[in-house]
Amino acid sequence: MSNRGVRNLFVFGSLFFFVIFIALTVDTMKKIDKRAPEITEEVDQGKKLWHKYDCIGCHTILGNGSYFAPDLTKITVNKPEGYLEKFLVHPRKVKPSAAMPELGITPDEAKKIVAFLDWTSKVDTNGWPPKPVLAAYRMPQIPGVTVYQKYNCSACHMIGGIGGTSGPDLTHVASRKPDIEWHKRHIRDPQSVVPSSAMPPFPQISDEELNQLADYLITLK
Amino acid sequence: MKYESQKIAQHFYTFAILLFFVQVLVGLIAALQFIWPDFFLLKFNVIRDLHINALVVWLLLGMMGATYFVVPEESQSELWSIPLAKFQFWATVVAITAVILGYIWMGFDPQANKYIFGTLLLNEGREYIEAPRWADWLIALSVILFLFNNFMTMYKSKRWTGIQGTLLGGLTFLTLMYLPGMFYTKSMVKDQFWWWWVVHLWVEGSWEIIAGALLAFMLMKVTNAPRHVLERWMYIEVALVLFTGILGTGHHYYWIGTPKYWLWVGGIFSSLEPIPLLLMVWDAFRTTRKHRVISNRLGLFYATSHAIFNFVGAGLWGVIHTLPQVNKWTHGTQITTAHGHLAFYGAYVLLVISMIYITLPLIRGVTEFNTSRGYRSFWWMTISMVFIVLSLTGAGMVQTYMERLVGLDYVTVKANYNLWFWALRAIFGLGFVYGVFLFVLDFFKLGREPVEAAAPANVSETTA
Ligand code: HEM
Ligand code: HEM
Ligand SMILES: [Fe+2]
Repeated sequence: MSNRGVRNLFVFGSLFFFVIFIALTVDTMKKIDKRAPEITEEVDQGKKLWHKYDCIGCHTILGNGSYFAPDLTKITVNKPEGYLEKFLVHPRKVKPSAAMPELGITPDEAKKIVAFLDWTSKVDTNGWPPKPVLAAYRMPQIPGVTVYQKYNCSACHMIGGIGGTSGPDLTHVASRKPDIEWHKRHIRDPQSVVPSSAMPPFPQISDEELNQLADYLITLK
Repeated sequence: MKYESQKIAQHFYTFAILLFFVQVLVGLIAALQFIWPDFFLLKFNVIRDLHINALVVWLLLGMMGATYFVVPEESQSELWSIPLAKFQFWATVVAITAVILGYIWMGFDPQANKYIFGTLLLNEGREYIEAPRWADWLIALSVILFLFNNFMTMYKSKRWTGIQGTLLGGLTFLTLMYLPGMFYTKSMVKDQFWWWWVVHLWVEGSWEIIAGALLAFMLMKVTNAPRHVLERWMYIEVALVLFTGILGTGHHYYWIGTPKYWLWVGGIFSSLEPIPLLLMVWDAFRTTRKHRVISNRLGLFYATSHAIFNFVGAGLWGVIHTLPQVNKWTHGTQITTAHGHLAFYGAYVLLVISMIYITLPLIRGVTEFNTSRGYRSFWWMTISMVFIVLSLTGAGMVQTYMERLVGLDYVTVKANYNLWFWALRAIFGLGFVYGVFLFVLDFFKLGREPVEAAAPANVSETTA
């Protein structure tokens, strides 16, 4: 082929692929909104704050962004009501080991950001992030563990390396807090024993469950 | 050098490599913040913004400088307007400096980043295109002036060579692909959809076109190989780049809320993306073998290394995580960072440096220069980068396993299991900074110090 021929192949071939790409883009644009909840005014304001505070400078969302801090696509799924709102305003008061800086986010702004993150958590992402396939840590088969799992304590707490980091690590909690009565009061109403606590109260837990859970916790030495 | 106006390239090179040095210094700070988050006055996000924006900007400036050299050479005429080129240079310097100061300001006072007329004043909070809207317009204006100047030069001379046509085509595509990043969308999904038009169609589209054209130019300059053969292969390479790369954008549309068919489109086309990159490696070796009269060994050495690491970093490190079955597990992990570093280094850092080593001696009018510092700088940078990338690949594998397969918490994996990888990255980062320092030094000294007898490079003007 002459150079002119390959040049034309380059120019027109590329245009051809670009046209296909545009057609797919048009189709995708029609479908995107149906794959996510409606965008309310509050969600939109939350998104604008997301940009203002450059959250993507540390976090990923939908898996894209910076890899310095956790992905936030589904962050609202496992956090107790109200936790994130508090955390965003004063990260280190809620979680002393947090690497997240205090950005001057107001409580009202925090609410909007959480609304935005709640929106992203409901986007149909073709199953991403995938559920972990390997069960790592076998917990002892005792009633307290069942209660621990029922109320999803591991969303925030870690035992033996498994679980979240929003709350303190409980692997050795009994060495710090050996008193079973303290635990019972704390679980029902955390603020009654630790005024600054960001942990939600669990008034719905039954007396029997509370006893089983506290029994389990004081074994964690 | 044949034309007075080619000297303008040096302005661009100088500002570019100063930003390169800033880029790696802040990169080192960012690496240390992985170990100590409060290590520096400015928080990680601002440091990272500086790191990646300095990167993009200095590479663009380097490509602009290179273009100001190539276009007069290929058109066989002076540039259409030297004052316009100088104005465009200084306007760019002012705009970039203002953006950088804005980021730093925001680092000290996050509230300073206010909405004014609906757009953010200092930082748009979108990765790589953080520059605020007012700066977007200034940058776009500067690039349009730049394109216009070069286009007029070609137009007046009526010499439409394949190399400069492809170069200008790539630069025009680059400019157009800046636009999809310049509007607000309420949906985060659409936001990321258009954002990838910019980011992906830059690095795997227009920039690779520019690389293909510059590679052909460099091979022609240093080996005196015939133009028609080089241009033919160049067309084939850049054609394959776009045939695979445009629809290859789909590899970013697997999990962001876009329809499922992108898994097929992205998976198939992006898997083919390494082919043109391999062709470029073969092109460099074939040309060098055939035409043994080499006028600038160091320049050719860098150009060939660029071709090789473009293939390894973009092609190989890209293809390993491009299939949806793999990407589902590795998406947004340190595997991505490992690939990002080696790809940018091989494809574009080495490209700009090789253009500098091939054109700067001609600009400075020297026929011989010392090459030993240039080689040392290459080895310091390249070996350090390879080890940075291996450390990050290790961190990414651990992260993928622990977090995505076993289900451990992100923070636990980062703070416990990956700590040593962060330390390794910082140590090799220091080595990289030293390599860049040598290069900066060499840039200022090239042709300005007495030539040692030991290893001079002969630079002669070829006549192609
Ligand atoms: C010179 C060319 C290239 C450069 C400079 C480059 C650079 C990058 C960068 C910086 C990212 C991360 C973007 C972010 O910050 O979110 C990325 C992501 C990615 N790249 Fe490339 N790349 C190149 C070529 C390729 C090629 C040829 C392939 C495939 C064969 C590829 C596959 C990918 C994939 C799959 C991702 C997404 C990773 C994820 O899911 O997290 N890249 N690239
Ligand atoms: C001294 C050497 C360097 C060090 C220590 C360094 C460090 C870093 C760090 C810590 C990040 C943030 C990563 C994250 O979010 O997890 C980063 C991001 C980035 N760096 Fe570097 N860097 C260095 C050199 C370079 C060079 C030479 C390039 C270009 C060739 C580069 C391109 C990038 C890019 C594209 C990103 C953003 C995307 C990503 O995270 O992959 N860096 N770098
Ligand atoms: Fe891509």
